[in-house]
Amino acid sequence: MNLSLTLPEAFVALLRKFDVLVIIALFLLLTLLISMDRTIEFMIFCIFVLAYDVLYGYMGRLSFGHMLYLGTGAYAFALTGELISSNPFLALLVAVASGALLGLILGPIIVRTTGACFALINLAFNQLGFFLALVAFSKWTGGEDGMSVYVDKVWIFDFSRKTTVFCFALLSLIVVIFLMRRLTNSLFGLLLRGIKENETRVQFLGYDTFAVKMVAFIISTSLSAFAGALFILNYSYVTTSFIDPLRSVEVIFASLIGGAGSVYGALAGGVSYKLISNYLPNYVQRWEMFLGVILLLLVFKFRAGVWGYITAWYQRLEATPAGKSGQPPEVGR
Amino acid sequence: MLLAVDHIDVFYGSARVLSEVSLQARQGEVVFIVGRNGAGKTTMLKTIAGFLHPGRGAITFAGQDITGLTPDKVARLGIRYVFQDKRVFTKLTVKENIELAAYAAGVKLSEALERMLQIYPKISRFLDSTAGGLSGGQRQLLLIGRAMVGSPRLLLIDEPTEGLAAGTIEEVLKVLELMRGEVTMVIVEQNLSVVSRLADRIYCMKEGHIPAALSEPADIQNQSYLETYL
Amino acid sequence: MISTLAYGLTVGGILYIISIGLSLTFGTMRIVNFAHALVYTLGAYILLTSLQKLGVGFVPAAGIAVLAVIPVSYLIERYVIRRLYGQSVDYAIIATYAVLLIGVDAIKWIWGAIPIPLSDPVGASVLILGVDLPVYRLIIILISLLIFVALEAFFNRTVVGKIIIAGLEDKDAVASLGISVDKYFAVAFTLGSCLAALGGVLYAPITAVNPYMGFQVLLICFAVVVVGGLGSIRGTFVAAFALGMVMSITGRFWGPAADTMVFVVMGLILIFKPIEA
Repeated sequence: MNLSLTLPEAFVALLRKFDVLVIIALFLLLTLLISMDRTIEFMIFCIFVLAYDVLYGYMGRLSFGHMLYLGTGAYAFALTGELISSNPFLALLVAVASGALLGLILGPIIVRTTGACFALINLAFNQLGFFLALVAFSKWTGGEDGMSVYVDKVWIFDFSRKTTVFCFALLSLIVVIFLMRRLTNSLFGLLLRGIKENETRVQFLGYDTFAVKMVAFIISTSLSAFAGALFILNYSYVTTSFIDPLRSVEVIFASLIGGAGSVYGALAGGVSYKLISNYLPNYVQRWEMFLGVILLLLVFKFRAGVWGYITAWYQRLEATPAGKSGQPPEVGR
Repeated sequence: MLLAVDHIDVFYGSARVLSEVSLQARQGEVVFIVGRNGAGKTTMLKTIAGFLHPGRGAITFAGQDITGLTPDKVARLGIRYVFQDKRVFTKLTVKENIELAAYAAGVKLSEALERMLQIYPKISRFLDSTAGGLSGGQRQLLLIGRAMVGSPRLLLIDEPTEGLAAGTIEEVLKVLELMRGEVTMVIVEQNLSVVSRLADRIYCMKEGHIPAALSEPADIQNQSYLETYL
Repeated sequence: MISTLAYGLTVGGILYIISIGLSLTFGTMRIVNFAHALVYTLGAYILLTSLQKLGVGFVPAAGIAVLAVIPVSYLIERYVIRRLYGQSVDYAIIATYAVLLIGVDAIKWIWGAIPIPLSDPVGASVLILGVDLPVYRLIIILISLLIFVALEAFFNRTVVGKIIIAGLEDKDAVASLGISVDKYFAVAFTLGSCLAALGGVLYAPITAVNPYMGFQVLLICFAVVVVGGLGSIRGTFVAAFALGMVMSITGRFWGPAADTMVFVVMGLILIFKPIEA
């Protein structure tokens, strides 16, 4: 270990080692600044962004219909609670399973495509799902009005209390972060990134890229469904807005703002987007236009997003003579 | 010196595909680039034509620095690139293929067609057929004829005899011999007998750089000698 | 059934007119241009304003609408599309979506969000095979056929058209002839945008004019382009009418499912014939 670290470097290294604690602390801080309710929403949205990032950031595929998987989880949770059992954990399990199942069924079709085709086909299925929820199955889903959801208290978990929901959501987020870390630092993560850069080359190395893509897809859909279920756990109410394809832009935006392909980026992006969409309308009436403009700026000027920028700035700092020499900088975690 | 490529490096992402490559072609010369698959020959031509840009080094044509120009600008200066794989505009007819070239060069269609027929008289039968229906050899000759519209000063030809039968190769060779002196050519070829018949100079390319340039007629005719450099 | 068929043809005709632009942009630049929906919507709104504020007739108002989108289309092509299409397709998609968002919000700002119905400009109907069909819808079918003929002539007879066809197939080879391909793609883009505006103009009296009308039609047009084959102008023609029929017939039996059925068809096509994009 290089002992000649300057103070800021040591500080950052410390932050990195205990980053989970830092994240928890930051979210607790957020609770003080904005309400606990809002923070829960932010955290769950971050899970969704992380799920999305598996496909977008690591595998390089842009989906324009990811609300489908969020919505599937949401409705699966609600319908399980309504029709089968009001055990919240069972409902969560069913939700994640539905997400996985959907990924398994749609995967073979969707995963073979790339680029614009990938974006569109996800969108098309999202529209289909939206229609099913709004019209075709409205008898069960409550259509446009939606439906309320009640869950039982299980052991010490009383989800009617906000603090329980908060702790559970935070715990889920941490678990998902760990999962993402394990994933991206494994061979699987390497293969994913390889596929993003040059799929043919990965195939030539002897790997079945279809299988890798399928697994990534199913992970993404399952986690999205999980996020969807958590949202309903929090709201106790589900409407078609959870499966509305027009809202797919939210998670894309968050990915871009934060910086695709890194856990910190996903968190930064998720929180940033939620802050903007919650508070900007209070100050700027035409905030959707504003959002569009920011999106353009991001695409043209700040592709790496907030986190990418910070990492790049830090790398430049490390590259100066006062910094560590000879060590390749870690890019995003 | 009509064409001078001076110590160029070309990168594909972060991989260096060409390193410190230099090449020259005098007016009227026929210069060949030979080498194994993947050596970087096509990359070389593409860089001269403007489809790729060197990270380092310069390319000069007729005294003008053309490094970093877009392909259409390079073409307008009088350089024509004939692609590998005999890519014609399959949805257009043969005549229309030439029409586009004539339009771009500011030449009358009738003149361009005359030129084409001089080079390859047999194509008169196919003028109104869709170019997609032509055989490999016919396509190659169409491409060469199309490239000659507007009397360019330099032709960059990528593997003209690849995949062709012996008789057709002879036809293509005859056409190239006909054009010799009228236009300068830089040709990528794997068929060493073709190379020996036409070359004024040969650049041997290996793994992205040029270990040898041969211009002695004795060396050029000696195929086994060539092979040692590959 | 006759009226269903006629309606299918009408919708097909409009889908064709709008989808041409998408097909061209997709074929030439491999970009999913979400902003296409904006031009379509603008066409309808400018028609509205011309009718109401300028007091001109339908045809001149339509002309104004189609011409007015040319500068908008130029700006989008020059400052958004051209900058991005050499690079990542994904960013181009996001950027055009952003333009759409901005545009739709601007429309809401200028014209308000409430849907505005527009009356049938012809108002008459004609008796065909025992069914009363609005003349206006027949005119739409006629216009779409005329446009098909005009486009065929443009792409097969004019040099500019042929360059675009060649460019659709092999952009680099066209450049190697000394042609600045980008300029011709820009022409294709503008042409497509004007047609989209025309589509908006024609469809406005059939559906109420609202800021989100672009979203509604955009996805269906993507389906048309995918089913018809990217960059294939004739394919777009066939696919547009086929899907128009699908919509009309489905709509007759189960109203709200009309749009969805189109996606089912698109999904099926993509399963058996996935495209590289």
